[in-house]
Amino acid sequence: MKVSVLQENLAKGLGIVSRAVSPRSTLPVLANVLVATDEGRLRLSATNLELGITCWIGAKIEEEGSTTVPSRTFSDLINTLPNEQIDMDLNVRSQSLHVNSATSNTDIKCIDAQEFPPMPAYELDGGMELNVSDLKEMIRQVAFAASTDEARPVLTGVLITVEDGELTMAAADGFRLSVRTADLSNGNSPSVHAVVPARALSELARIAGDGDETVTMVLPPGRGQVVFRLPDIELTSQLIEGNFPEYEQIIPNGSKTRTVVATDAFLKACKQAEIFAREGSLIARLNITPGDDMQPGAIEISAQSEETGSNETVVDATIEGDPVLIAFNVRFLREVLDVVETPNVALETTASAAPGMIRPLGEDGFLHVIMPMHLGN
Amino acid sequence: MDNPQPPYRKIIHLDLDAFYCAVEELLDPSLKGKPFAVGGSPTGRGVVTSCSYPARAFGVHSAMPMARAVQVCKELVIVRGSRDEYSRRSRQVMKVLRQATPLVEQISIDEAFLDVTDNEKLASAVAKELQARILDETGLPNSLGVATNKLIAKVASDVGKKAGDGKDYPNAIQVVPPGREAEFLAPLPTKALWGVGPKTAARLAELGIRTIGDIASWPQDDLRRRFGQHGGDLARRAKGIDTRPVSTSRETKSVSQEITFREDISDETELKQALRKQAERVAKALAYKDLKGKTVKIKLRWPDFTTLTRQTTLAAPTDEAEIIYKTGLQLMNANRKPGQAVRLIGVGVSNLEKPGKQLTLWDVAEYKKEAQLEIAVKEIQKKFGEDAIKQGKE
Repeated sequence: MKVSVLQENLAKGLGIVSRAVSPRSTLPVLANVLVATDEGRLRLSATNLELGITCWIGAKIEEEGSTTVPSRTFSDLINTLPNEQIDMDLNVRSQSLHVNSATSNTDIKCIDAQEFPPMPAYELDGGMELNVSDLKEMIRQVAFAASTDEARPVLTGVLITVEDGELTMAAADGFRLSVRTADLSNGNSPSVHAVVPARALSELARIAGDGDETVTMVLPPGRGQVVFRLPDIELTSQLIEGNFPEYEQIIPNGSKTRTVVATDAFLKACKQAEIFAREGSLIARLNITPGDDMQPGAIEISAQSEETGSNETVVDATIEGDPVLIAFNVRFLREVLDVVETPNVALETTASAAPGMIRPLGEDGFLHVIMPMHLGN
Repeated sequence: MDNPQPPYRKIIHLDLDAFYCAVEELLDPSLKGKPFAVGGSPTGRGVVTSCSYPARAFGVHSAMPMARAVQVCKELVIVRGSRDEYSRRSRQVMKVLRQATPLVEQISIDEAFLDVTDNEKLASAVAKELQARILDETGLPNSLGVATNKLIAKVASDVGKKAGDGKDYPNAIQVVPPGREAEFLAPLPTKALWGVGPKTAARLAELGIRTIGDIASWPQDDLRRRFGQHGGDLARRAKGIDTRPVSTSRETKSVSQEITFREDISDETELKQALRKQAERVAKALAYKDLKGKTVKIKLRWPDFTTLTRQTTLAAPTDEAEIIYKTGLQLMNANRKPGQAVRLIGVGVSNLEKPGKQLTLWDVAEYKKEAQLEIAVKEIQKKFGEDAIKQGKE
């Protein structure tokens, strides 16, 4: 293999695929990045056997070939090179990659590409086309609610369903549930029901560019995998087996108290409360009092800690229904308010031990359910 | 963890010497060198809470009735005690300890364990520094026991204190080197061991077991046969074995209050009043600690000093004075003959939990039940007024 690439392109490509590298695997080759010529371009791939990322970069190819390069060494080296042309020449017999820049000569010991797990190429026909910025927003609004506890693997995933021209993502860690739906532009998509690791989706959101690109999602039948294809990037993830909980049952149908509040003010109040709540169980009390003719309604958010002190913030709100005192894990509240894009948000509650629901005002596609914390009465 | 751990732990037990008296001397230096005692009045049923070393020389000891104390030591000065000041000084001491290591387990106002295993210095050197710093920063004399576990460290500080001449604050440091635990314990009387109270000591003495060494050499199976599980524990402790860690967050297991009457009380109304007052105090303490408890217990002491405790478990945890009082009253009525005189009454709540448990999405059935009840109550209150229906606690 003999190729020339621009330092900038190679560094960017390595930055994208390196997140799938598995540096401490028992398989040494998984700590490497596959570098291969591929139809006039250079293909970079990394996988940890659950998540695989491939990226194609422009290159001048003099001689076809492939090898696997230790990811850390390769990235660290390339990142220090000047933004100029880099020539790479593989000695096939010794599997030594000669990297030649304007000022430096390097030889890196590689592992034969034969040892790299095969990364099958799938047909993208029949895939679903999604707008990248829409998809990124969906992931941002849902993936954080997935569990990080490996004890229940299915909850570490995001349930993706496609039905009747509508795409839904849902994640629940047992204490909260985030659901986001979006209409699909191509209405006749096949129905889908798959649990994708939240981590894979977060990586997808990270590597996907901004703007109006499209991403194609494919679930090759019988493979237990999902493939997301962007221009020049492909991310493949194993699906999580198991039944995702029937979350529709958890979503409250109706509420006793509806509190509409400015998202920003509510978020700031929660951030303040968290400073004091984080010393303990993260509990923040929300005292929701409807207004009358004389004064507007208000949520009083309070938290206290034996060590640091206490905090109380009052946020004006439009409240319909009964007063209610309810306690939440304030980190959960803050995390959902962080991903609400609308200026106003509704908090719907029924009782202090019943789930609370957050809905952005004027954005029907997103809802978030948080279980309260027991006030202990 | 790259640093190799020593094969043994380094545990320090700190005990402030005659803590209350030391504080009183700091507040009123004229007390220095005098026999004095902190405690209640000698005319009632006051007891000695703490006494100075000069007072001890006369035979005064803590828990002794004050009336008796003034008999054995005519010039005894009685000090009422300043609880707030004790707490404040205790916090200062604990702060000094926490600067040495975060692994501090405070076991009472004047005692704590420290785990200094990770400190590269010799444990005895750490102890010396601590002793000096506490004396320097708080003015409080203190004794330390240094060993490889909590049991030995605690016994060591006791032994160190007793080794002094008894005339002044001992300011002792007693070190038990690793591997010498059993040897250190062997000559000590059985009652020096944790878990050996007067009753166990007496039963051991019947067997001819007088020292901890005697316990250690007694067949373990026989101890277990005679004392059950406790026998096994005794055998292990007698050999100086104790694996319990220094636990930094000491959870409150129960909250209780009790009062010894100035004179025995048989009047129903007065007893109820006393019980209510104790219940209110317990409720207040629970609220302060943000705790609720499910088990209510009472303690009654009759004029002949026999004591009984009875407890019952509630359907739901509470911190309400009224519930604690009513439950306590039921227990008292069930265990006290009408007109029977009472010397001490106490009430407590245990089986504690912190409110603020995170509910889960899968508790659907649970929360629906509870939520529906709450909604129903609110609906009724809305229609018929707040007083129409109340939850039992209100």
